[in-house]
Amino acid sequence: MDLLEPTRRAFALLLAGDPRLLQAIWLSLWVSVAAIALVAAPSVAFGFLLAKKRFPGQRAAVVLVQALLSFPTVVIGLILYLLLSRRGPFGSFELLFTPTAIMIGYMAIAFPILVVFTISAVQGADPRVYETARALGAARLHASLTTLWEVRFGILAAVVNGFGRAVSEVGCAIMVGGNIEGLTRNIPTAIALETTKGEFAQGIALGLVLMVVALGVNVLLALLQGAGGLK
Amino acid sequence: MSAPLLELRGLRKSFDARSLLDIDRLSIEQGGAYVLTGANGCGKTTLMRIIAGLEPTQQGSIEFRGERSNPPSYPEHLRHEIVYVHQHPYLFHTSLRHNLEYGLKCRGLSAAERARRVEEAIEWAGLQGQVATPPARLSGGEKQRAALARARALAPELLLLDEPTSNLDRLGRAQTLALLAQLRDGRRTVIVACHDQEVINLVGYARLRLEDGRIALQSG
Repeated sequence: MDLLEPTRRAFALLLAGDPRLLQAIWLSLWVSVAAIALVAAPSVAFGFLLAKKRFPGQRAAVVLVQALLSFPTVVIGLILYLLLSRRGPFGSFELLFTPTAIMIGYMAIAFPILVVFTISAVQGADPRVYETARALGAARLHASLTTLWEVRFGILAAVVNGFGRAVSEVGCAIMVGGNIEGLTRNIPTAIALETTKGEFAQGIALGLVLMVVALGVNVLLALLQGAGGLK
Repeated sequence: MSAPLLELRGLRKSFDARSLLDIDRLSIEQGGAYVLTGANGCGKTTLMRIIAGLEPTQQGSIEFRGERSNPPSYPEHLRHEIVYVHQHPYLFHTSLRHNLEYGLKCRGLSAAERARRVEEAIEWAGLQGQVATPPARLSGGEKQRAALARARALAPELLLLDEPTSNLDRLGRAQTLALLAQLRDGRRTVIVACHDQEVINLVGYARLRLEDGRIALQSG
């Protein structure tokens, strides 16, 4: 197969600002960013509780969240499909095949990543952080927030990983988004579709964008960690 | 004789049937300075942490300025009057100024008052040259002085210092000892847990000795 020609055409599409391409890129980015923005705070709070508090069923909850990490995204899509379809319990909201449905899917996919990374970051925090905050007069909530701030780069890594997983996810997005051009077609679903149609130029162009986005957020994370004094 | 600032009664703490603390009665006078000595594992740190509300006790009462609390309750407002400095003090990964300001913010002090106290604390600890240095890059002695300054800036009624000169080089130890000598000013009450003979011999510090969790000596 000739790879040079589709690659040359992919760059041409990107440079020309192909509207179909831009639409898919824009949808991918805003839906992923919105999903992470909505799910990050509750996930981090839940991860903190699982890491710090002792309560019946805590271990089981941690195991369950860890198991969700390896849950196939297409199954998450299937469950959401059943919940959002017309006959499903949330069918009246008419969310199926909308960007909101994809967003909900992304939130479900990012949730265990954010929780598990937060547990790891908080459990890895120096135990003196919380104690020092309390010894200096901080209330419990303030001391908890101080602990989270001390492990902010671990939390940031959680957010970046959650975003990376969401922006590159395809199974769930196809199931609940339907891959409708101009409405729910995003980068990964467009790549899947264009490739099956033999339109490699579009697929390569979108693949390049996805790689640049993934690289960009990780470079940003590394820069922030460097600015924070981490090696 | 004035009423004691702190009085512990019937304080018991054990772990797996092993008694860690068993103090019938201990009185700490307002404005007093005490050196708390005893062998490793005799309960010095546990006692200080209980007084600071960082560790629960199973039995007994803590009376601070006449206000009695019984375990497991610990009045939150006492955290603004009793400050504990860890043997290996932790400085938040922010800036030295933020570290010094942290407890002041917890007390709701105005920005102007916070700034005044932070400047005073920096000068007191001789850290003027380190204000821009990230805390992680401070030497052991500088970290200890920063932690002492952070605690002193809060003007607590009772300051608890756990082994403040351990793990310091000669210079760091000398600088910390000089600050410890200044902390005894007759207004603030200070308890220093240590093994360091130079701290034990500090002028004006009364002695408390713990043996197997019991007060074996109280002098001064």
